Amino acid sequence: MISARGLKRTFDDGARGPLAVLDDVSLEVAAAEFVAVVGRSGSGKSTLLNVLGGLDTAFTGEVTVAGQRIDGLGDAALSVFRNRQVGFVFQSFHLVSGLSALDNVLLPSLFTRGSAPKGPAATPPRALEALEQVGLAEKAKRLPSQLSGGERQRVAIARALLHSPRVLLCDEPTGNLDAATADEVIGLFTKLNKQGLTVLAVTHETRLREAASRVLTLENGRLT
Amino acid sequence: MKLGSLRRLVRLNIGRDVRGAFSSTFGVTVGVAALVFFVALGLGVAAIIRDRVFPVDASLIEVVPSQLSLGLLGGGKIDQAAVDRLAALPGVTATYRKMTVRVPAVTLYDGDFFGRRLRMGLEIIAVGVDPALVKADVRIGDFTDPGEGQPIPAIAASRLLEIYNKSFAPARSLPQLSGSMLTGFIFPLEFNRSFVTASPPGPTLATQGQVVGVSDRGLLAGITVPLDVAIRLNRANKVDFETFTGVALRLAEPSGVPRVVSAVKEMGFRVDDQERRMAENAGAAVAITTAAMALLSVLICILAAFNIAHALSASVRAREREFAVMRAVGASRGDIFSLVFTEAMVLGLSGGLIGTLLAVGASFGIDLAAAKVLPEFPFKPDSFFMTPWWLLAIGVALGVGAAMAGAFLPARRASQLDPARALAGQG
Repeated sequence: MISARGLKRTFDDGARGPLAVLDDVSLEVAAAEFVAVVGRSGSGKSTLLNVLGGLDTAFTGEVTVAGQRIDGLGDAALSVFRNRQVGFVFQSFHLVSGLSALDNVLLPSLFTRGSAPKGPAATPPRALEALEQVGLAEKAKRLPSQLSGGERQRVAIARALLHSPRVLLCDEPTGNLDAATADEVIGLFTKLNKQGLTVLAVTHETRLREAASRVLTLENGRLT
Repeated sequence: MKLGSLRRLVRLNIGRDVRGAFSSTFGVTVGVAALVFFVALGLGVAAIIRDRVFPVDASLIEVVPSQLSLGLLGGGKIDQAAVDRLAALPGVTATYRKMTVRVPAVTLYDGDFFGRRLRMGLEIIAVGVDPALVKADVRIGDFTDPGEGQPIPAIAASRLLEIYNKSFAPARSLPQLSGSMLTGFIFPLEFNRSFVTASPPGPTLATQGQVVGVSDRGLLAGITVPLDVAIRLNRANKVDFETFTGVALRLAEPSGVPRVVSAVKEMGFRVDDQERRMAENAGAAVAITTAAMALLSVLICILAAFNIAHALSASVRAREREFAVMRAVGASRGDIFSLVFTEAMVLGLSGGLIGTLLAVGASFGIDLAAAKVLPEFPFKPDSFFMTPWWLLAIGVALGVGAAMAGAFLPARRASQLDPARALAGQG
């Protein structure tokens, strides 16, 4: 499902020159696999996730996700890729503050080119379905400020699931949650993974690491 | 991004901070309102000057004798031969001769004047014109000499009627008159008599005048009579009845004026363009004032564009993560640019519409106030403003344009931001 070969990503570190955050990283993730990527802060975990999700394009190497080569894709094609093939879940939820939970879930549909993956009429019911999947259908009209941290993260997961992506990319998804809520979210990932969704989660969280079927460690820009 | 999605996002984003949105478009609203208001005022005042105060016919040239005769080269008096030569000039389609009644005349009125008792003596200046010049305004008869003993047809100047109604009548408690009321009015006339100078030798001719119409082409400070009447009166009083005091030339095209004026001067005659110059000078004064106010309004809009740019830049900075999330869920750079740009356009459109409506409302208010508060004066209009559709369109377009100009750089910045860095809080 995910194939990366020889990934290199450097950042300009001012006077110290270029800093290699990803240094010849290669990985393979099979369909319906649940992979956790661990490592110290600054080891390049989030960068790896951004590269695999088409958010960071300033890399060298080959990346294929859900059968699509994304290295070298233009902005429009990458946008379609992000809209259809992957779903992002962030540590800080990143919900749009003025929009209701339902509108936040519907956000990807506003940027869909051509017809919606399941047809335009199916989009609002699908958003409700996604909220139902994460157990928040009854709070669809609430604003993010009216939701708890765990609920916000579940809304973010529902948003990531709207277009039934092939891959879920999670960046410290439990980092801002208490233990009980983190357990709920991890349970949700496990459930989605069992339903066939490929999950790649960057984490420091032991329980999330334990829930994964495989753990990769990133150290000094290299997978070990 | 689809139009429906764009509309939804723009509505949601503006709806989140309506006060902020309208405060950032305040400048646009003020600038557009000022522009529409002052240009409408300028157009309105210019129209009053052009159509009522100095109603100049652009295709008519008034030729008068030169004060200096050029002997064999021509010039000097305008006789029929000169009129024929003027009529033969290229571009001239008609000539209308004019001859002043060259003896003094007075009216001594003592009787009922539209329901009021009036006793008044006035010195009268009379000029005879070819009937064709004023035929469109003649309501009684065909404006020819009716012969001795019959009332002389007289045309009153519409501007004289306006001055009478707005200044003379109120000051003397006389009735207000319309053109149709005045038409048919008969008044006494005495030729070869004067109240202000010694009357010339010879008998006084007592007759009557009858107003047969009101015209923009009537003599402002006197009456306009048929040319044949002027010739008859001058002949009877043994003064010059063969040369004309002027000839009006009708041109096929107003654009031919400079060429014909040049030819007229070469023939040794002068062109009396006093009225035209006054109209042009007054029009130019109004145009300059209007242009200055319009420029000021456009400057306000330019400042407003900077204000929008500043406000949008701050907004884009505050919403960097939001834009990054949008990029993460499938927005392209173009989508983000469209979103910010369209938000600004909607605000500009709102500012333009509100500003235009404010200007139209203010012009109505001022017209109402002027009608109630200002005293009557000559040429006082029903409205000081002229608001053509294109001015309203320019007002709205200026609002949108200012917003677009202000939004371009912030929208570009929003579209170029690195979503990965913004999501990591390093934007």
